[in-house]
Parts: sequence; C-alpha cells; structure tokens
Amino acid sequence: MTFSWKRVNAIFQKDFKDFSRNIAVSIVIFLPIILAAIYGRMGLDSIQAHFLNINMTFAMVGTYVQCCLIAEEKEKNTLRGLMLSPASTLEILGGKSLLSFVLTIVIAFFCAYLSEYRPANITIVAIAIIISSVFFIGLGTLLGLIAKSVMESSVIVLPVIAVFSVGSFVTVWVEKYPILQIVEYLPNVQLIDLATKVEQGAGFGDIISNLAIIVIWTVVVYILTAVVYKKRMVD
Amino acid sequence: MENAIEVKGLAKYYSSFKAIEDVQFEVKKGEIFGFLGPSGSGKTTTIKILTGQLNATEGDAFVFGENVSVLKNPTARKRFGVLTDNSGLYGRLSIIENLQLYCKLYDLPTSKVDEALDFVNLKDAGKKKISTLSKGMTQRVNLARAILHEPELLFLDEPTSALDPVNTLHIYNGLRALNNRGTTIFLTTHDMQEADTLCDRVAFLHKGKIQLLDKPGILKKQFADGTVTVELSNNEKIVLRKDAEGAEEMFQLMKENRVQTVHSNEPTLGDIFVKVTGGELV
Repeated sequence: MTFSWKRVNAIFQKDFKDFSRNIAVSIVIFLPIILAAIYGRMGLDSIQAHFLNINMTFAMVGTYVQCCLIAEEKEKNTLRGLMLSPASTLEILGGKSLLSFVLTIVIAFFCAYLSEYRPANITIVAIAIIISSVFFIGLGTLLGLIAKSVMESSVIVLPVIAVFSVGSFVTVWVEKYPILQIVEYLPNVQLIDLATKVEQGAGFGDIISNLAIIVIWTVVVYILTAVVYKKRMVD
Repeated sequence: MENAIEVKGLAKYYSSFKAIEDVQFEVKKGEIFGFLGPSGSGKTTTIKILTGQLNATEGDAFVFGENVSVLKNPTARKRFGVLTDNSGLYGRLSIIENLQLYCKLYDLPTSKVDEALDFVNLKDAGKKKISTLSKGMTQRVNLARAILHEPELLFLDEPTSALDPVNTLHIYNGLRALNNRGTTIFLTTHDMQEADTLCDRVAFLHKGKIQLLDKPGILKKQFADGTVTVELSNNEKIVLRKDAEGAEEMFQLMKENRVQTVHSNEPTLGDIFVKVTGGELV
C-alpha cells in the first residue's frame, strides 16, 4: 500500500474549495454551533447537554457532510476518476476524510466553548473526541459509498444521525425495556459515560473500557468501508 | 513488435444477456487501434474490462504483458489514461483547478496543465467553471485530463462524439502527435470516418462479437467491387468494371475526349460494416 501525503493534501485542498462553494451542504456545519450558543445562553450545564451538542457535531459534520461528499463523488463519477488515478485507497479515503475531520474537531471545540463545557481532564476527553470523530467520519464514508445519489444519502443518513446523536436519551427506558441495554454500547453513549466519569475524577484506567468500545466501533466501520470501497472500484 | 494489449476469449454476461462474447485481439505497442461498432455493441464494456473497472465473466485480458488485475496497483495506473462516457469532473471547480488536482495525483509539475489545455484547444478557457461548460468543452477537458501524464496506453471511448469539426480536427492532430511520441491508443467509436483517419488497424464489433479485424486500407481493397465511376464531359456518370471490357470502353471514351474525371469505387469503412453485419451504425 503506497502513501503520499502530497496526494492526500491535493484531495483535501480540492475538497476544501469544492465544499466552500457548496452552500447546500456547508450550511449544515452551523447547526451545532447555533445549538451550542443557545444552550450556553440558557445556562444548561450538564454533561448530557454539552454532549448533545458534540454528538450533534459528530452526526451532522462528521457523518452527514462526509456522506454527502462521498455520495456526490460517486454520483458525478469523480470517485471513479480518483480510483483510476495513481492514488491508493488509503490516500483517497484519507484525503476525502481530512476535511470532515478538521471541520468536526474545530466545530466540536467551538461548541464546547460556546456551551461553556470545561472538562476536568482535557487530555482524556480530547482523545475520546478524536477517536469518536474518526468513527463518525468512517460511518459517513460507508453510508456515502452505499448511497446511489446525494439525494439518497441525505435520506439514509437521517436514522443514523438520530441513533448516534440523540440515541443516548433512550437509556432512560432501559429499566422498563431491558432490550434497550444495547443502546448503552453506542459510541455516543460511551462518550457521555466517559465524560461523566472524567468529571467525577476518573483517570485513564477507569475509562479504558469506554475507549475500547469506541475503538471497536471504529475498527468495524472502517473494515466495512474498505470492503464496500473495493466493491465500488468495479461496476 | 511487443503487444500493449492482448485479449483472449473475453466474455461478459449480464444474466442471459451477452454484452461481449469470445472477443480476441491484440494491440501492438505504438499502434492506434480502432474498436468500431454501433451503440450497445460492447465497446464500453471492453474498455471497462481493460481498465479494471469491470470483471470479465470469461477469458483473459493483458495490458503490457500483465493481467488487467495489475491495474489495482496504483503505480501501474500511471501507465495508462482513460476517457470514458462516465468520466467525471468537479462542477464547482474551474478547468485549471480540476487539472491541477490530477497533476498532483500523478506527481506532475502544474505546468503540464497548460500543455494539456493547448492540446484540447482550451488555453483561454482555463478559469471557467466546469458547470458552465458545453458538452463538447467538458469532453475536451476530460480528454486533457486523460493525456495530462502522457500515458503509455490511452483508452478513448468516443473521444470526439460531442465536438464540432474544427475541434475534432485539432484533437486528431493532437492524438497523432501523442502517438508519434510513443503512446498506444485504443479508440472506440461509431464514426467510421474518424477510424479511417486515425487508426492503423480496426476491429468491427457487432452484437458483442468481433466480425472483422485488419488495416482500413486492406479492408477497403478486400471489399472493393472492382468498378470505377467515369464522369463524362456532358456530366453523365457511368460505372465501368476494372476488366478488359471496361478498359476497352474507357479507351474508347478517352479517344473521343469525353472523359472528365475517373473515381475509384472504394467502399468506406461504414459501407463495409453494413455489408458484414447487416446492421446500421447508430
């Protein structure tokens, strides 16, 4: 597997120019910021409220934007152009994910700032947010590769956004419906659990299981993405 | 001479529909090879198999002596360029921005963009957005992208289908220059005039099967009906056979000073295609 940073950067730069001229998709990145600003002014200061914004950022920017970018490349046959170029799978997917990654991290930071979230241990929370971003972007890539068009991608991404951004609310019914315990293993729920533990003074050793679950989700999503990508290389 | 492409018993089936069947041919290095046939005859299917975009149901295809599966290796992809009907460009970016991306992907200096734009006669349009271009201009940008890295092997699927005669001629000259510098060209078209102008050898594809394969000149001689058309001084046209009887008649007409022009009745590639396949070229 070849890897050239120059090629990754070329795809990133192209995506940046293309994205900045694509109002329909780029406007989406402001939604989590607006929500965070409202929450900050309302004085909502719970981990649930802070991470509603951050998980919304993951879903809207990491997953939705990435899904639309990939689906558009597929629909317009530009992805096939990249596949026929000397760029490797890693370079193409890396380049295609870099813009979403930068946007997700920057917007998550702004959301945290606006909602006045100040984690007790910034290192642990930052690592968890970075890994979660990678997962959500992988999910967006996978859905974008599965969708046949941009229109279809914006439909199939909605239930996924619902589960992975506000799915944590379902945990209140776990006692009544034990089947819903499965929701506790969602990466967004794990991230909230991790952040709650951090606020209670937990160190790395205490949150390792939360991180491990998020990492497992990430690995599974990227394996599926690689399989679907290889299939998309041929008609 | 070494082969750039070698195809043996290639077939592609979509359930019961046979897109191509038992296709067999070789393309020599440095050749311009025309793959001719009407729409739906299997030309694009063949190009897609040869460029690794489609898996064949049966048979083998080799590019530069290696199975086409080698094209899954990104480095091997530097050796060929492709222009197909589904080649895509970024609509919100300019022509230059699109080509610059591919310069970086192919590790080329961005000065190559100017050369490629000159090749397709678009030097003054570089800053135009792709979404504002006509179909013909978009086709020329796609062609510029395909030749940007001066590939050893160039696959062109109907390269001039949307172009006006002036730009078509410009592209022909560019392709000949590229070929003179060593690029092998595999060209599919249903334009028999284009094939006649550009190709060293042509193959006629009909209903997924190759019906005929040879040099255009040889095919024309093979299918010539052995007659000439004589235009007389009174503008009347008569057809004479190229035999002793016809020669005697011609001698008599010339002796009487009644001959204005003489035309050899060579068939066009289009005539030959219709004769061989019984099909129309659409």
